Amino acid sequence: MAPQANTVTSQPAASEQQYDHIIQIRDLVNTFGKQLVHDKLCLDVRRDEILGVVGGSGTGKSVLLRSILGLHRTNDGTITVLGHTIRYLQPGPFRQWGVLFQGGALLSGLTVQENVELPIALHSNMSRENRRELACLKIFMTGLTLEAGAKYPNELSGGMRKRASLARALALDPKILFLDEPTAGLDPIAATEFDNLITYLQQNLDLTVVMVTHDVDSLFNICDRIAVLIDGGIVVDTPQRIVHHPHPWVQSYFGDPRAARAREAAT
Amino acid sequence: MGEFLTLEKTGDTLKVSLRNNWQFANVAAFQSELDAIDPSGCKEIDFVCGGLKEFDLSGAWSLYDKSLDLEEQGYKSDFLGFKESHLKFVRHIIDVAAVNEYDPDFFKPVPRHLVRKQLEKIGAAAMRGFDSLGYITESIMDGCRNPSRLMVGETLRQIHETGFRAIPIVVVVTFLMGVVLAYQGASQLVDFGATIFVVDLVSTSIFRELGVLLAAIMVAGRSGSAFAAAIGTMKLNEEIDALRVMGLNPNQILILPRILGLTIAMPFLTVFANISGLAGGAFICIMTLDMSVVQFYQRVAGSVAMMDFWVGLIKAPFFAILIAATGTLRGMQVTGSAEELGRLTTLAVVQSIFLIIIADAFFTVLFNRMGV
Repeated sequence: MAPQANTVTSQPAASEQQYDHIIQIRDLVNTFGKQLVHDKLCLDVRRDEILGVVGGSGTGKSVLLRSILGLHRTNDGTITVLGHTIRYLQPGPFRQWGVLFQGGALLSGLTVQENVELPIALHSNMSRENRRELACLKIFMTGLTLEAGAKYPNELSGGMRKRASLARALALDPKILFLDEPTAGLDPIAATEFDNLITYLQQNLDLTVVMVTHDVDSLFNICDRIAVLIDGGIVVDTPQRIVHHPHPWVQSYFGDPRAARAREAAT
Repeated sequence: MGEFLTLEKTGDTLKVSLRNNWQFANVAAFQSELDAIDPSGCKEIDFVCGGLKEFDLSGAWSLYDKSLDLEEQGYKSDFLGFKESHLKFVRHIIDVAAVNEYDPDFFKPVPRHLVRKQLEKIGAAAMRGFDSLGYITESIMDGCRNPSRLMVGETLRQIHETGFRAIPIVVVVTFLMGVVLAYQGASQLVDFGATIFVVDLVSTSIFRELGVLLAAIMVAGRSGSAFAAAIGTMKLNEEIDALRVMGLNPNQILILPRILGLTIAMPFLTVFANISGLAGGAFICIMTLDMSVVQFYQRVAGSVAMMDFWVGLIKAPFFAILIAATGTLRGMQVTGSAEELGRLTTLAVVQSIFLIIIADAFFTVLFNRMGV
């Protein structure tokens, strides 16, 4: 179904029904004062996909993420994650999702090891020895070492801090991983390594990944689908097809030389 | 037969069939069942998929760990009949383990040398003390070097913030202290028929000691913590670094105005404290001890010399410097974590009150020796 020029349909296509949807957003409305950020936005996230979310500044990427996580009081609409209806500040399916916040959000008074052990200790009554070993496994999974695990967050470099908070996000073996600008502030080499890590973990652990990003390399290299927030609605398609969407913002975003280079490199 | 495992022994092979959901939510339960497996009398332990429903990394890790333990003890162990989607997790763990080895010894506490540690601690604390003293002196000198117009506005703001806005609480506290002193004094002195001396007691102690001391303690609680928290947060947000690279001297625009502002505000606060403490005493004397206002006034004028007033007031700027220096110094020492900020803010208040009391004791002895 070819999208019509300059219009953004908010209803998901009928062909979506063949997929298993792990997150369902229906008629989401968010306003800030008079500004309508999300206007009856609908989005389905398929199981085991990596979905990249992009949009200009002020289009509500972060608000969308925070709404899904129950951290933002939405004006209207329903959000369902793994059959769980999300309500503002109510505990969501916290055992089945992990979040990598933009700044890492590691607890600064605890070491990396303790940061990863904390959710495990809170949600299971494992022995201390086992808990420590499981936390180490998560830390190793993200490419860090025992020595790095013994450090405090402020002693780590930016890339290591991202990995450490990814380890904490994976602590409870989640099914969904939310990433907020995972490669922001990383140099291209570290960013590519991080992208590879995410794909590797996604394939090995059957994760569904929703990531807000502006890194066009990540978008074309690891995302299965890209969701573009425009005019309060959303357009979702594969990286190959979304670039042909006629909306001016999409055209200017993906027509940018950097995006074009990333697209060529990925194909 | 447990909830997660079924054991079946054939010959010298123990067949362990997995059942139900081996997911993080049940991790402690299936781990204890795994620990309870008794392999004695068998040579081989086989883990069989059986009725396994959901599997995740925690489950795979528990199972893999157990099989490694068994192999270490000399048993053979194998995984049979697992689906590819289940084995994938185990394979992932093996991949990870190939790169990084878990080492339980890493977490063993390092043996401690108690005496040596304590001595080292004392030495380090002494060094830090000297360091702090040097740092704060340097900051003040550095701030004074090129005074700028920016400082004036900031100092005025600090006077308003730490002095003017502290007036209500200081007035209330010292008024009540005057009331308490008069009451306690009267209940003792009435037995000697010397109730008029209540006025001497209240006025002398308020003017010489309590007025300034109470004001300083209130200010230490209000502003000492505020200085440490504000500067500490700026430190964490790299605001101090931002000021430095813009060519602004943080000593000049953050530390000096606070010290200067408080030093100016504190004597005025002390005057307010003295007046309201005296008013508290007067209130009780007039209301309950049948004194007239004139009588009270004359007694105060007769018992308190101007020197008593100055003895109290001269301490105010010294206390102010102690509070402001401790608060700003602790703020500047914040690094890294939010917990550190809390610790140092507390330390700022506790230490400034401690220093105030020490300084007060010193002044009392000094004035006593000087005979004033």
